[in-house]
Amino acid sequence: MTDLGELNRSTPGAADPVKALLHRHHDLCLRAVDPLEIAAGLEAHGITDRTAARFRHRDVFSLAEELYARVPRDTDPPPPAPPTTRRADTLHGSAWFLLPLLPGALCAATVIALRQTHGETRLYAAAAGILAVTLALRAALRRGPLSTPGRTTRPATTSWTCWLIGYALLGDGLLHAAITGGPDGLPNGTAEGHWPLAVAPVLALTLACAPAAWTTHLFTTHARRRLGSSRGLEDFSASVRPVLLGTFVLFLGALAALLAVTSALLDEPSALPGTLALGALLFLARLLTVHGFSHAPKVILTITVLAQAAALTTVLAARLPGCAALSTPVETLTTTWSPAAVPTFTCGAAALVLLIHASRRLSRASAHVSTEQPR
Amino acid sequence: MDNRPSRHHLFRIRSSRCEPPGQRRLPTREIGGAHVRIGLLTEGGYPYVSGEGGFWCDRLVRGLDRHEFDVYAFSSGEAQEDAGWVPLPPQVNRVRTAPLWAAEDDGVVYGRRARRRFSEHYGELAAVLCASPDSAAPEADRFATALRGLAELAREEGGLVGALRSETAVRALERACRAPGARRAAREARVPDLLAVAAHVERALRPLSLDWYEEDGLGAVDLCHAAAGGVAALPGLLAHHFFGVPLLVTEYGVRLRTHYLTRPDSPPAVRSLLAAFHGRLTAETYRRAAFITPGNTHARRWQERCGADRAKLRTVYPGMDAAPFAEVGESPESADPHTLVWVGRVEPAKDLVSLLHAFAEIRTEEPEARLRIIGGPAGPEGAAYLGHCRALAAHLFPDEADGPHAVGDNPVSFEQLGGPGLETPADAYAGGAVTVLSSVVEGFPTGLIEAMFCARATVSTDVGAVVEAIGGTGLVVPPRNPRALAEACVSLLRDPERRTRLGAAARARALELFTVDQNVSAFHRIYLEIVARTPVRCLVLDGTGDPLPFAAPAEAHVPGHWTDPTPRAVPTWAVETPVPATETAR
Repeated sequence: MTDLGELNRSTPGAADPVKALLHRHHDLCLRAVDPLEIAAGLEAHGITDRTAARFRHRDVFSLAEELYARVPRDTDPPPPAPPTTRRADTLHGSAWFLLPLLPGALCAATVIALRQTHGETRLYAAAAGILAVTLALRAALRRGPLSTPGRTTRPATTSWTCWLIGYALLGDGLLHAAITGGPDGLPNGTAEGHWPLAVAPVLALTLACAPAAWTTHLFTTHARRRLGSSRGLEDFSASVRPVLLGTFVLFLGALAALLAVTSALLDEPSALPGTLALGALLFLARLLTVHGFSHAPKVILTITVLAQAAALTTVLAARLPGCAALSTPVETLTTTWSPAAVPTFTCGAAALVLLIHASRRLSRASAHVSTEQPR
Repeated sequence: MDNRPSRHHLFRIRSSRCEPPGQRRLPTREIGGAHVRIGLLTEGGYPYVSGEGGFWCDRLVRGLDRHEFDVYAFSSGEAQEDAGWVPLPPQVNRVRTAPLWAAEDDGVVYGRRARRRFSEHYGELAAVLCASPDSAAPEADRFATALRGLAELAREEGGLVGALRSETAVRALERACRAPGARRAAREARVPDLLAVAAHVERALRPLSLDWYEEDGLGAVDLCHAAAGGVAALPGLLAHHFFGVPLLVTEYGVRLRTHYLTRPDSPPAVRSLLAAFHGRLTAETYRRAAFITPGNTHARRWQERCGADRAKLRTVYPGMDAAPFAEVGESPESADPHTLVWVGRVEPAKDLVSLLHAFAEIRTEEPEARLRIIGGPAGPEGAAYLGHCRALAAHLFPDEADGPHAVGDNPVSFEQLGGPGLETPADAYAGGAVTVLSSVVEGFPTGLIEAMFCARATVSTDVGAVVEAIGGTGLVVPPRNPRALAEACVSLLRDPERRTRLGAAARARALELFTVDQNVSAFHRIYLEIVARTPVRCLVLDGTGDPLPFAAPAEAHVPGHWTDPTPRAVPTWAVETPVPATETAR
């Protein structure tokens, strides 16, 4: 088809013209996963069938096949893994880092305001404080590691979370008052009186937003790094599970420390088990939601709220004639331990269930697909 | 009328539907004119305003006004959806669109049996992708079976999007990669690679979750015409599987080839698995298609290479509107005899540097020659290249004046379309006696076809489909060879007679091969051929339950709609009178 004279003219000085071509497109040939990729690449470099004829090939495809076959592939070391672990969240300054501190700061300001004011002013201060803290919480959950970017489905867990925090603030006092025959009026906003407020746990929880965000960021970046370095899925699961537990313990430690500090400052009894259980529950629920598992947190939170509401209702319903037996379980619980046993047990059990669930779900590789890349 | 898809949750990927304002029109009845209902499948093009490849679909739909079109379109992004649609002619019966970029999980959680079905089919799919490329023949069947299994699962249970993203899918991929006999690149796959492959496969298989595969959806059309290969042809493939609707695939650029060029930086495992996926999908599409129409020989060779049967291939050249060039084409003497014209979008692949060097040689032979480079830059890279070319032109050709008192001028001018005297592309070609094309890479050279319509002599480089388009009606030189380009240009500049002869031949060739009419009539013929070859899909039964022969003859495809609710247009007399025509005659 093509005479040798033309062959030599086309690449002077080379007995093997394909070798020169191989040298010129070495990267392409080495990288290619099949001959068609080389063919596509050669065509993009302007090589046509008529060019291929000069290399004594019928078309580009057969030329590409020869190139593919001639690249020494097996002796090559596998190319180094590209840096797939990008920074999980590009830090927009330090905004996301400091934003979770805002709810805690506002809550502390509210507590101070409550301490300093009396009467009607105190009511206004409380209302303004609750509003400010809610807005700050929304802002803190909108961006940073606790946000859920790209997930449009919004789980309806906000009201359940509000109830749980409200119970931590008011519930123990109400339960105690209900068992002892009260309550005789609305709470007066202090830790004394017939319906005392438990401000220290709530303050500790809002302050714990910051450690929650930081530990979540820690977990996410660690998991992504493991994703890049692990060989198989089992390998990945085994290496992520300790990270998850470590994150969880770290958060609990931070929360316990915060609670100790706030209890001491506010001079309130330290409700450690109940607050830890509630904090653990909320943290795990958010962690699961952030990674796309919103169903289980919703169910568990609903069940917890229903259990707490049932405890309160049975105590109050026992006052109806003939229903005295209803309050027996809760009263036994409170007399054996304290009113705080109700949130401790409900939230503790729920947190345990979520922890088991999280350790199974969050150790899967598919939970850590980076949300920036199109899914 | 807001036709954008709604954002709420649905059972499957939601797709919007709409009947155009003209509503159902009654087409004019013609004796012997078969009436075909065509399901046009597009991806990121027609009917959206800002879509590539929308023009030929629009011309096709407008050109075939005696047929009926159902458009099934994938949009490529939110911006495109917001930009809206082109005005639709009345022969478009229905438009259904689906945003493949925004598929969300429909929340269906599989039970045990569905999960087992999914993991079986997906495992099979993964095994085919990871299998070493030597054993080709049985793999094609396995791929098709797995694809069909997944499609049936999505149609019956939904929830495929979530399942394809789930850990089950990733595990199945890992198992397949670690299995003995897996290809070498797959064995090296790491966890991020597996996730990337799973995510890409999920994206590519989103058409499986659409709610188009109903008796009144794609089941009701006579044939599916996919305007591109790859994902756009997938609904046609499924319609063929579920309802036996014949499939016609048109490819102006081969999708598989673009896939090879798009992800050069991915790890080898990802590229290898995805290449296998798209290769198998393409092969399966070609296998099931009734006809495949490549837009040029280059696409045809790729299709043959990917397993398309030669008997099914019909090259249909893209059609271009010749009317704007008619005036210029009929008056070839209007050209300036010393001017060379280059028209196109400026980018490095066009190799303007080589053209400028060639022009330097032309100037030594023909000092009066001038070069007009007409076109804007393509992207930032093109802008940088244009700047480089301007600098080179200024360096090679200093401004020169006729006398000591005249204002100087450069023999090379860079102009843009839309300027004074350059309102249309026809004006651009009209100015020069010879049109030059100096590309090193080219697909189908539309600029060259325009020059041919204008009856201009051309000198072009031998790339892409240039030789195929120009035939013997222009000069062709090797790419990256300024001297050859210069010699060819000089020979044409010195020979006005030859220029006229070549120009006239080029115009005749273009009018014969590359007009809209030939494109539309070619598709028209192919549609009729497909319908004629397709067996009747719904058997009409007589009173005793035996199949009724000739109940739906070709004449049943006459224009107009039948009130009968059966999906196929079966005439009512054929159903109600269960006596075959032969018996009546007896």
